[in-house]
Amino acid sequence: MAESGFEGFEKRLELHFSGDDPITGLRQIEFETLEEILSAVQCTVVSSVGNHYFDSYVLSESSLFLYPTKIIIKTCGTTQLLKSIRPFLHYACTIGLSLTRCMYTRGNFIFPKSQPYPHTSFKEEVIYLEQTLPENLFYKKASVMPSKLSSHAWHVFSAVDQSYLIDNADDHDDQLFTLEVCMTELDCLLAKKFFRRHNDGKTSDAAGKEMTLMTGICDINPNAHICDFAFDPCGYSMNGLDGDRYSTIHVTPEDGFSYASFECVGSVYDDCRKISEVLKKVVQVFRPGTMSVSTTSTSHELWTRVATAVEQQGMKCRSCTVDEFPAAGSVVFQTFTSRRK
Amino acid sequence: MAGVEEGQLISCHTIEAWEEQMQKGNDSKKLIVVDFTASWCGPCRIMAPFLAELAKKLPSVTFLKVDVDELKSVAADWAVEAMPTFMFLKEGKIVDKVVGAQKEMVQQTIAKHMNTSTSAI
Repeated sequence: MAESGFEGFEKRLELHFSGDDPITGLRQIEFETLEEILSAVQCTVVSSVGNHYFDSYVLSESSLFLYPTKIIIKTCGTTQLLKSIRPFLHYACTIGLSLTRCMYTRGNFIFPKSQPYPHTSFKEEVIYLEQTLPENLFYKKASVMPSKLSSHAWHVFSAVDQSYLIDNADDHDDQLFTLEVCMTELDCLLAKKFFRRHNDGKTSDAAGKEMTLMTGICDINPNAHICDFAFDPCGYSMNGLDGDRYSTIHVTPEDGFSYASFECVGSVYDDCRKISEVLKKVVQVFRPGTMSVSTTSTSHELWTRVATAVEQQGMKCRSCTVDEFPAAGSVVFQTFTSRRK
Repeated sequence: MAGVEEGQLISCHTIEAWEEQMQKGNDSKKLIVVDFTASWCGPCRIMAPFLAELAKKLPSVTFLKVDVDELKSVAADWAVEAMPTFMFLKEGKIVDKVVGAQKEMVQQTIAKHMNTSTSAI
């Protein structure tokens, strides 16, 4: 493994709000205000698009999704993601929204020593979260979910307001599941497709579109509108918009610390073949040596579908860890390695 | 309705205004850029000042703005699902489309179609 390089593993934050204006809500944010918040995290917007349900931003380091009362932001590299919490809460307060739920997740960093405060350790992150979140988020839990592979562990922090547990018992969000996939040791030939040709004369958007087509990413969900971006000289990001559901992919293709992530949301009432088909295509695009899948859901069956779908692609399940979190439901963390290992 | 002299971004608030602009475009054979936008869409707000600036600089191109809530039927007819969507029209036909707040792409696409236009520059 390389001694230093780009940190592909993202930190991910999900914030839920409630308030008087749930129609436009957080989407009203002025671009200048958003840029200020992102500068505290140390990243910028490189591409964006919206639909009737949410706004999606591709960032210089990963992605942001703004729903009227929900924020999902994930950032890679040495960004200071948790520093976005205070300014986001401040902005939400100015439009009459208050925080009801927070979830923070991440994998194991490849280069943990390069991480700045407050990401120097999970303990430090949890202290920062507890100091930053409002007191009404009383129900809290932090947990590190291990695997049999030293390179993969899942860090989860969840906090929720009492009102959320009562009001949202039959909520639409309750039916949603989130799938977070982290892949390392990508197939070398497939990873090469995420390098740009020298002086290709294309815009980053056009080069991104070409990668989306060439790699088969466009087939993962053919119904999604894809907002893609190719970095120079290598690397790729995309956000997918399919009605009220997002998906996102980020790729660091350099040998020695290659990494790709895939994330999507779905409903527990979806046809179960759909998620199997999606995972099959994701594995085929990257052919990773090692892969972790975190499933956050109120359903207890989803993770078995995940394991079956991934194993059908020639990967072997090495570990499965389950934990329960207030409001989020259960988080199931599974790791897989290719049989070639 | 906003002013209709050249070098401006024209907002079409009614179906009649929209159809009138389409008719004008068909007759003049000028390149038309239509910005399908929404007040609640963050990426649309990023593009608004940029497009107004482009419109000022390029009087030989007609820039139209359609709010997808105001002209729902037009947005539906043109299958606009993501915002902002930029449609590039010539003589009533869609010659190109850019979806998302892609400043460079919009600029390049305009340049591409201005060069092939008889009435350009």
